[in-house]
Order: sequence, then C-alpha cells, then structure tokens
Amino acid sequence: MIGNRRSSKIIALAQEVVARVWRIRVVLMLALPYLVLLGWLFSADSDSDVRPAEVYTVPEQPVWKKPDAEHRFGTTGGGADLYRLSRVAMANSVAVSVISSGLGVSLSFLVVMLFAFSPGENRFRLLKVMARAGFLLPPMMLIVILTGGAGGSLVVAMMAMSGAIAFMLAPVVAGWFEEGEGGRDILAGYALGLTRRDIVKSRIIPIVVRRLLGVFAQLLPVVVLAEMALSFMGFTGDRISCGAMVAYGRELIIEAPWMAAYPGILATVVVGALAALGALVAGVLRTGRYPRFL
Amino acid sequence: MTRFLIQRVMAFLGRVCGACIVVLLLIELSFCVLGSSEHHVWAADSYGAMSADLAMESGDWWSLVQSRSWNTLRVLLIAYGGALLLGYSWGILSARFRRLRLSLLLGLPLSLFACVPGFWFVVIVAIYSYFEWQRPGFSNEVVVESGPDLMSWWYAAVVALPLLAVAAAWYLRAVSEVIEKEAARPFVRGLYVAGHRDEDIFYANIYRRAKGGLIALVDQALPYIFGGLICLEWAFQYEGVGSLFVDSVKEGYYDGMVLCSLWVAAMIGVVTMVREMAVRIFSVR
Repeated sequence: MIGNRRSSKIIALAQEVVARVWRIRVVLMLALPYLVLLGWLFSADSDSDVRPAEVYTVPEQPVWKKPDAEHRFGTTGGGADLYRLSRVAMANSVAVSVISSGLGVSLSFLVVMLFAFSPGENRFRLLKVMARAGFLLPPMMLIVILTGGAGGSLVVAMMAMSGAIAFMLAPVVAGWFEEGEGGRDILAGYALGLTRRDIVKSRIIPIVVRRLLGVFAQLLPVVVLAEMALSFMGFTGDRISCGAMVAYGRELIIEAPWMAAYPGILATVVVGALAALGALVAGVLRTGRYPRFL
Repeated sequence: MTRFLIQRVMAFLGRVCGACIVVLLLIELSFCVLGSSEHHVWAADSYGAMSADLAMESGDWWSLVQSRSWNTLRVLLIAYGGALLLGYSWGILSARFRRLRLSLLLGLPLSLFACVPGFWFVVIVAIYSYFEWQRPGFSNEVVVESGPDLMSWWYAAVVALPLLAVAAAWYLRAVSEVIEKEAARPFVRGLYVAGHRDEDIFYANIYRRAKGGLIALVDQALPYIFGGLICLEWAFQYEGVGSLFVDSVKEGYYDGMVLCSLWVAAMIGVVTMVREMAVRIFSVR
C-alpha cells in the first residue's frame, strides 16, 4: 500500500551513499586504474633491496636464457628472471617519482603562499625574476651536478628533483593566483566587502590546490622518466631501476641484447599508462598548460 | 628601440652571470659539502685537469667545448628546429580545424613516442644497427674519412628524435590552446554573425591577434631539450657538449661543468633574448 509513510533510515542512508558516490564517480573511475596499476607493480614477489651490480654480474658460465614462454623477458647471466626484476625496478621508480613529485608540488605551493598574502600589487615579482634567471639552466643539468657531486645518492636525487620541480612550478602557481584574482566573482566579492584574505582563502586556494593535483598526476610519468635517466647515468646509487638495468644491459648488447631491450618495454608501458591517466586527471581538474622542464 | 635592444643585451649578460654563479655554488655544495672532495671552486688548482682521452681529442677545455658544440648544434637543429616546425604547423592546423579535435589526433603519435625513455630508444637503435645492418651501433664507433659525412647526421638524428617528439607534442598543444583561447573571444562570434568566411576569420583575425602569444612560446621547451640532450648524448656515446658535461661530472672536472653549463645558458639566453625582442616588435605593430 502506497501511503505517506516516511521511508526508513536505512533506505535514506543508502540513497545518500549512492548520491555521494555518484557525485565523485569521475574520481572513483580515475582512482581505480591507478590502484590497479600500482597494485600490480608493487605486488612483485621480491624485496626491493636488489642490487643491479650483483644481479647483472656475468659468471664464467652464464646461464642466461632468451625470452621464452617461461621467462617472458629472458633471464640474466645468473639466471634471475628479468620480468620480475623489471617490475621491482618500475615499482621503485614510481615510488621515487610519487615522493619527489609530491614534495616538489607541495614545496612550490608553500613558496607561493609565502608571497600570496603580501599587500603589494607586485607580490610575486621576486619569484618571477628568479624564474627568468633560472630559466637559462635546465633543471636536469642542476640535478646531475648535485647528484654526481654527492656520489650518486638516491636521497639527494629525490631532493634535487623536488627542488627543481618547486623552482620551475612556483612562478606558474603564482600566475594562477594572479589569474584567480582577476575573475568577476572575485571582484564581486570585493564589492560585497570581503577582505583579500577571505577571498584568497575561500576562493583562490581551493582552485589552485585542485589544479596542483592535476599537475601532480601529469608530473608522475615525467619524473619516472627523469629518475630512470639519472639511474641510467649512474647518479642514483646502486639500486634497481629500469634505467640502471638498461645501462648494465648496454654492456652486453652483443651477447644478450634482451637484457637492455626488455626492461625498456615495461618502462614504456608503465610510463604510457601513467601519462594517459595524468592527462585524464588534468583534463577533469582543468589544470591547464605549464612549461615542460624535465 | 635601441635602448630596448641594449637593455635586453644587458639583461642577457646579467642572466648568464647569474647562471654562472648558481653553477659554481651548486658545484661547491654537491662536491665539497655533500661529497667528499677537497677541491673548492675558488681554488685555482681545482681547474685544468683533464683525462687522457679528452686531452687526445683537444688540448684545452675551451677548444674541446668549441669542437663538441658543433656536434650538439647539429642535434639541436634537428630537435629544436623540427619541434618548432612540426609543433607550430600542426598546432595551427589543429586550431584551424578545432571542431574536429585534430590536436588529439595529431598529438597522439608524438605523445605515445614521448612515453618511450630516450636513453632506451638510442640503445635499441644501437642494438638494431648491430644485428640488422652488421655495423657498430654507438656513435663513436665509426669515423667517415672520405665522402660526405652522412653518418654524423644519422647519429645526430637518433639523439634528436626522442627530444623532438616530446617538444613537438608540447608545442602542438600549446599553440593550439593559445589560438583556441583567442577564438573563444566574443568578437569571433560577432564576425560569424556579420557573415565573414570561416577562413578569413581565422587567418585575418584570430591568428593575427594570437601572434604575440605564439611567439612567447618559442623558448619554453628549451630547458627540456637541453636537459634531455645531456642524457641522450651520453647514452649514445655521441661526442657533444651534453656527454662532455656528464663525463665532467663523473670525473669531477669543474672546467667542463662550468663551460658546458655556460654554453647551454648562453644558447637558451640568446633564444630568450630574440623572443623578447620579437614580442616587443609585434606588440609595437
């Protein structure tokens, strides 16, 4: 019988949950592939403390195998499975990239916030002057000097990458603050008597943070590539990474070419997946364009 | 105008000096503070050392950088020139046919290639050329002694190709975005309502008004191109400024690091200066 009975609390709760899930459906749809990709990478059955110098040492009687049904990427001279090693290596690279990008993006936001509440009109002038001068030196060059001089340490590489990201991103974020302050709703806010502090806190910062999430997603594959390039050149210590694997495999391109070739295929696939997801996230969050610097 | 030119040249010199100071500070920080070197950047005896291989190639650091810079310029010509040509032409084309979402279609192959690690690509080329063409793969293994030196252009192209793809993909998107932003202005709708042809509106109005924004993009991908160059040259054993820089860092030669960094800073600085002048000229017009 249909009457004017109040619906039960459980149904109301379920309706609310469904409504909330529907509201964040895009976030869920984008988070799911990230979880699947990262879950697959980090579930490689090995400890991450694998040293490429040990794994790639060729014994007097090498037992390497070409790629076949059992070993999809072939094996090393010592018989280690390259596919498993490549997965561990990519998991390491992605972990380094997540930390470096996260630190870099947060640092750039913090730096801009130091200037954001200054009362003057040209509050970001210093940042912009520094960026124009620093533009002449490619960040990769500075990272190589820092990591090379420090003897190839992963921590220094991560700090250097974070610093480079923060330095190059800070003027872009400052530009977003300026852009945000020119909107009609902001002018209306001023007309209604809101202070600049209120406007920055309640209107501009949420938009900038949203765009920074998109930047983070877009930076992930870029920093993975940069980290692999650094490890290829031997600037991130003796730690397994696809870059280091290709570098060691380069010495054996005549005897065992698969050792340099196959880790790169996995790296390309993972970077491609991260780039596609990053582009989708940036599109949804309307991040906009910023210069490619790494 | 003359005052503006002198001002730009002075700004360029100031920026290069600033870059030099930053490089020296970073070398001191990384080698002496973080590392265990006792050679400080201000000590005269920290400079002048050179390995036997490099000494055989050229007597001193200055002439070494000079000779290497010709090889790197060849790579830059292909990578930067190609990126500008491809990125701008395809970007304008995508903006012209923006309703067809051409920027996605044209950018897709470039974006896919941009996901390939550049150092791995050059190693794959080396493996392929060894097994398929039966000749040494890396660039320092064949020297052409007579006839036209086409090999050096091939090697330069191998190093340049990954850089070209990434830079061209970025330029394509950026150019198309700048023009599409201009096309979204209210005057464009007015011109359509007034009955102007689509082509006239695009080339005589939108494109002309977007010129300043397009010129401002010219030097934006240079830090990436030079940054990628140092890794790719070293990976392909290509004798350019980038590989000299990496070797200098590995061996701790301050001369090599400072000279290579200054060379790169000067190159980017010149392009930035030209861009600033061009923006000024177009905005005056």
